[in-house]
Formats: sequence, C-alpha cells, structure tokens
Amino acid sequence: MSGQLLIIEDNAANFYMMRFLLEHGGFTVMGAETGKKGIDAALRCRPRAILLDIQLPEMDGYAVAEELQRHPELARIPIIAVTSYAMVGDRERILAAGATGYIEKPINPDTFVAEIIQYLSNDRECDKEKQL
Amino acid sequence: MMTGIKVSGRGWTEWRFLRWFPALLIWLVLGSLPAHAQSRIVTVGVYENAPKVFMDASGEPAGIFIDIIKYIAKQEGWRLQYVTGTWSQGLDRLEKGEIDLMPDVAYTAERDRIFAFHRTQVLSSWFQVYARQGSGIKSIMDLAGKRIVVLERSVQEEAFSQMTNEFGLNSKLIPLPDYKDSFKYVADGKADAAITNRFYGLMHARKFGLEDTAIIFAPSNLFFAAPAQGRQPLLNAIDTHLSRLTRDSDSIYYQSLNRWTAEKVPYILPAWVMMAGLIVGGGLLLSLAVSILLKRQVTARTRALSEQNEKMIVMNRTLSEEERKYRELLEHANSIILHWTRDGQITFMNEFGQRFFGYSEADIVGRHVVGTIVPETERDGRDLRPLMDRICADPEAFEQNVNENIRCNGERVWIAWTNKVYFDDQGGITGILSIGSDITERKRVEEELRLLNRELEQRVFRRTAALAEALEKAQAADQVKSAFLATMSHELRTPLNSIIGFTGILLQGLPGPLNEEQQKQMRMVQNSSRHLLALINDVLDISKIEAGQLSLSITTFDLRVSIQKMVESVSPQIIQKGIELKLDIADDVHSATSDQRRIEQIILNLLNNAVKFTESGHVGLLCRRDTGHYVLSVSDTGIGIRAEEIPGLFQPFHQIDTGLARKHEGTGLGLSICHKLIVMLGGTIEVKSQWGTGSTFTIRFPIQTGEMS
Repeated sequence: MSGQLLIIEDNAANFYMMRFLLEHGGFTVMGAETGKKGIDAALRCRPRAILLDIQLPEMDGYAVAEELQRHPELARIPIIAVTSYAMVGDRERILAAGATGYIEKPINPDTFVAEIIQYLSNDRECDKEKQL
Repeated sequence: MMTGIKVSGRGWTEWRFLRWFPALLIWLVLGSLPAHAQSRIVTVGVYENAPKVFMDASGEPAGIFIDIIKYIAKQEGWRLQYVTGTWSQGLDRLEKGEIDLMPDVAYTAERDRIFAFHRTQVLSSWFQVYARQGSGIKSIMDLAGKRIVVLERSVQEEAFSQMTNEFGLNSKLIPLPDYKDSFKYVADGKADAAITNRFYGLMHARKFGLEDTAIIFAPSNLFFAAPAQGRQPLLNAIDTHLSRLTRDSDSIYYQSLNRWTAEKVPYILPAWVMMAGLIVGGGLLLSLAVSILLKRQVTARTRALSEQNEKMIVMNRTLSEEERKYRELLEHANSIILHWTRDGQITFMNEFGQRFFGYSEADIVGRHVVGTIVPETERDGRDLRPLMDRICADPEAFEQNVNENIRCNGERVWIAWTNKVYFDDQGGITGILSIGSDITERKRVEEELRLLNRELEQRVFRRTAALAEALEKAQAADQVKSAFLATMSHELRTPLNSIIGFTGILLQGLPGPLNEEQQKQMRMVQNSSRHLLALINDVLDISKIEAGQLSLSITTFDLRVSIQKMVESVSPQIIQKGIELKLDIADDVHSATSDQRRIEQIILNLLNNAVKFTESGHVGLLCRRDTGHYVLSVSDTGIGIRAEEIPGLFQPFHQIDTGLARKHEGTGLGLSICHKLIVMLGGTIEVKSQWGTGSTFTIRFPIQTGEMS
C-alpha cells in the first residue's frame, strides 16, 4: 500500500510517532498543525487520505471535515479521525461531519498501520463499486 | 165529620155555605131568645174541643163552656152570637176584637198581655199523651224520636216542646189546627202519639182505639178570654155568676159537667179535690221524675266532666312539662335561636342569643334584624340590607348562610346561620327560624391560616426561585465539569498516545534493534502506560456515572459475538497462565438490545478479574436466557473472597488485599463501575464466593432494555 497521507495534528510528538509508523508502512506523509493549513495542503497536494485530529486550535476537527466536504475536488478523499475524544457521541459526531474512519487515541502501534490500510481498501472497494 | 162548620175548608160548596151560615145562626139565636130592646150582643168564638166547646150534631154550639155562657147570658140579658172556626182562627179574631169571648183559654202570662181574663176559673185541666193501644209508650222518655201531634199555637205545644228539649228527646212535633184530626193521625199511623187536654181525651180516645198514657203535664186553668180592651163588664159578670154557680151543686155548672164528661163527677166538689190532687200529684210526680232524671243526668255529666277535667289536668301538666322542657332547651341551647317575620322584625330571641348579642328581650323583640344584630354592611363592604329578602326569596340557597353580625357594643362577629322559612297553606311566609353559631374564632383562625398559607406560598416561591437558580448554576457547573472531563480525557490521552506509540515502535525494533535489557525495560514502560490508560479510563467512567454524564447507547447486537470477542481478548493471558477456559453459552443466546459497549466492558472486567486472581484451575463463562433476561456468570477457581469483604466489594476504590499485599494490578474501580453500569441497564450483579476456592460473579440484565437510542 502506498500513497501520500496528510496528518492534521497539532501535537508534534504524536505527529512524529504516527509519521514514523506510516512511513515504515510505505506511505508518504505530510503534515499540518492547524485545520486551515491542513485544508490548504489538501487542496494543494490531493492526498490519498487525511488523518484528522479533532482537538485542534482555531478550527476544530469537525469544522475541518465539513470544510473539506465543501470542496468537490476533496470530497472523495477519505478522512480518518484519530482522536483522544472518547466521550459518548464523539464517534458518531465526527462520522456525521464526513469522516470515513475512526481510530481512538492512544493508538495501538502494533495495529495502527494495518487499520489505516483496512480503511483505504474499504474505500477503494467503494470506489470500484461506484465506478461499476 | 161534622159538616157545615168547617170554615177553614177549601172547596166551592163550603164557601157558599159560609156566606149564608152566619145569617142563619143569627136568625136561629134571635128566634130562640126573648127580645130585649137594649140587649147587649156578645159574640163568642166556637171551635171543636168537645166536651168543652163544640158544634153538636144539629149544628148548635154545645159543651160545658157554652152551657155556662148561655146561662150567664140569659141572666144578664145578653144576646149571644157564635162565630165558628178553628181554635187558631178564634184566637186571631179575639186579638183583633172581632169577637167578645173565646171559651176554654188557658191562662198564661203571655196571653195576659194580649187578652183579658176573668178571675174565677171555669175548669182546671192538664194535657195527656194518648197513643195506640200496646204502643209501649209509658213514660216521657219513651217519646224520644217519636212523631207527636200537638194543637197549633196551644199552651201544650209550647210546654211540650220545652219539655222534650229539656229531656233531649228529639221528638218530632206535628202541629194540627184542630183536635178532631189529632187522634185520627195516630190511629192512621201518621203519628205515634197525640196530646190533647184530658177532657177531650176522655171523650174521644177510645173511639180511635187509643189509650191514655201516664204522661200528663202542664196543668192549666181555663177561662173565657176577651180582647184586652173594653170587655171588663162582661168579664166581671162572668166572675160573679161563676162564683155563685160553683158553690151550688145543683147549678147549671155541675149539670153541664155531668152531662158532658164521661166520668161520673162526684157531687160537692170531690172532682175538684181529685182534680187538684191529680194535678198536684201529677205535677209532683212529673217534677220528681224530671228531678230524678235531671239528677241522674247531672251526676253522669258531672262524673264525665270531672273525669275529663282530671284528664285535662294531667294533660295540662304533661303539656306544661313538655313546654317547659322545650322552652329550657330553646332558651339555654348553646346556639342563637331567632324568629323573625317576613319584613325582618324579630319576634323571638332565646336567652343565649340575648346574652350573646347583649340585648334584653324587651330591647330586641319587635325591632328589625338589620340595624340591631345585622349590620348594614360587612367590614369588607358586602351590603347586608337585601339579605333578609334574599333568604325569603330563595330559602333553599340560604338554608346555610354565613354573615357578619354585630353585638350591642358594636363588636363584629361572624355567625353561621341555618335558616328555615315557614309557609302557610297559601304559600305565604309566616316566619323565619334562624339558628346561629358563633364562628368568629374559627374565621380568625381560618384567616390566620390563609395568611400563613400565603406567606408559605411566597416562601416556597422564593425558595423555588433560589433552587431554580441553584439548579441553573449546578447545571452550568455540570457543563463545566463535563467540559473538564472531556478536556482531561484528551489532555491525558494525548501524551499517553505518544508514550504508548513510541514504546510500541521501539519494541517493534523499527528504529533499530534493542538489546535484551532495553526490551525488558521498554515492556515495563508499555505495561505502566497501559495501566495508566486503564486508570484514566476508569476514573473518567466513574466520574461520568456519578455526575450523571454517562449516557447509554442502546442498540440491538449479538450477545454471543460480544462474549466471544471479550473471551478472545483475555485468551492470551489465559494461555500464558496455563489455566483452562470453560465456555457454556446456550444456543438461544443471540440478540440483545442494550448498550453493547457497556455490556462488553462488564464482561471483560469480570473475565479480567477472574483470570487475574486465578493461578491454577479454570475460568468459566456461562450464559443463558431466563424469563426476558440474560444471565451471565463468570466463575473461577481463584483465591476467592472473604465473607466480610463481600459487602464492600462494589464500592469504588476497593480491592481485595488493599495495602500490604498489593500483588494484583487494578484501579479498584472495576466492580464498582460494573455494578453502576448494570444497574443503569436495568440489571443486577451478585457474587458468590468461598475464600480459597473461587468466586462466581453473575449479572442479569433485560434482553430488551427499555430505552432505545
């Protein structure tokens, strides 16, 4: 599995840790520490998928997901929420805002890459179905 | 029937006869008497009362009185003229002065005013009752209810009526104008008895088959009567002759008596003696009988009266006793008792009422209710003047009425009245009875209560407002807490994410291989960070539950799958520990409607505990349905729980072997969270354990939880 992934994450350690795991999994990773920068990066680079934190400064993850949906050229890019928000309804809320996947922090470093690959393959199957 | 003398008769022949009859009489009389140039003409009434006066068979006047007057007339040189008629007609003529003399008139005081009498009586007589033979009439009492013939306008009629009235005989009197019909009436059965004078009775009774009874009454003296005025010389002459005639036993007087009376009249006045005796005796007997009768009646009546009187006295006593009782009741009843008229005037007020209002009876009776005990207006302004009219207009609505009243001293009081309006037969109001009780104190207490109530309401309102404010604050605080928890969750997990992530990366050897010691230490970091994560999760859970922030997410899921998932997650430890896992899930365990994540959390917690505390033997899981519930047990052959530990088992921060021998990891929150969660899901949790041999935790929860999300 390869491709460019965008991680929107304000915590540098977390970004570094995830990038490290994903690059070892064969992905190209670019990052943005705010929602706005993330959207700009997405528009510029059209990543294979976007890993989105929710607790972000200025513009939170929900708003970012909704904004990404508003851009037709970005609407088809899968968004995987990676969040420490574990309150009831968090998952449902972010899925409703446009995310296609949800991974809870703290992540399991042993299964993290596999989970991402799983989401992307699901998404590809969806695309295939849509093309058919 | 003696023809030709019936003057009162009807019919043409008789009237024609009447026209020439007086002339014939005059001619006859004139022809038979010596002519006297200056002789006085004396007219005499003749009627049928044989043997005293009557017309004989030849149409000549006859009888004792006629014999006597003829003798006197001859001596005095009077020329007699006879005018026939009935007794009644004769009396009329005499009163009008049409005739000079009427024979055989009994003296009465009443007649003395109308007529003039001479002084020497011609005859004495009495009346006697005659009845059919065997009639059974013997005494005056036998005449009760009988029909009795009397002579119209006679002394006997008057006397007999009086007598029957006195005896209360209720006899029916039949007045007839002439004696001659009297006996025929009785003989024919038209009457039960007839009254005649004794002379007439003696002469005629037998002929009609009648007999004399022992009833004799009203002895009377008989005279010639004259008109009141101008006949005194005639009467004087009669007196003079009569006194001489009655002294001479050979006189025309006695000859006449002998001739006309059937009984032998003894010589030299024995008849007088006898008659007088009879009269006196009869009178005496009569008065004796009457007296006895009266006495008996009086005695009987007196007795009846005194009995009645006694009864009345007893009754009166009872009545006055009753009245006294009622009056006492009325006067001393602890209620105001008032009677007033339709126009509001007080007619009665009992003593209690008088004392209560401060009026004396004289002060209050006769005065209007309004202005005395009823003020014109109540203090709160209600007009009481129309109240009396309203009570009268609608008695039912005002049967119970509360209004303000006023005492003599001006003090206002509240009275509860019961009003009863009384009506007469025509529906008019005869009066109103009002009974009242003083409820001033009750009213005051009620008013106090009302004020207290109002104050209480205000207080409650203020307190409610304060509480609402507090609640708002609390809710705001809750939101703050909620936000804090969310923030804490994020803030704690974010660094933990890096720790766990990098530890994993290092242990995977991705940045480069680790030596044995490095690997061992990195595992310790990994375990510690996992424990920290569990702690964070548990603390967040219990905080959310206790803050009421934990909401359930009810969905329908396959319980069997959930159980298997949880068993899988603990199987590495089971294998590692070398203990056995015994699974017994009934075939009908599948769909459940509950909070999947929480049910899984509970199952995992129980399994983790079982594995954690079991060093050898097995861990078992059993699940089955039971009447709308799933029952799931997790058992182990671990260290078990001491009996004294069980009660505190589900309290937060509780762990067996707290303190010294803290050999087992754990937050001490797990069972507490399980307990709270299962209760939230409508279920129960219980434990059975024996120290040293193992424990069994059993949860029971509804297959269908009430609230669906």
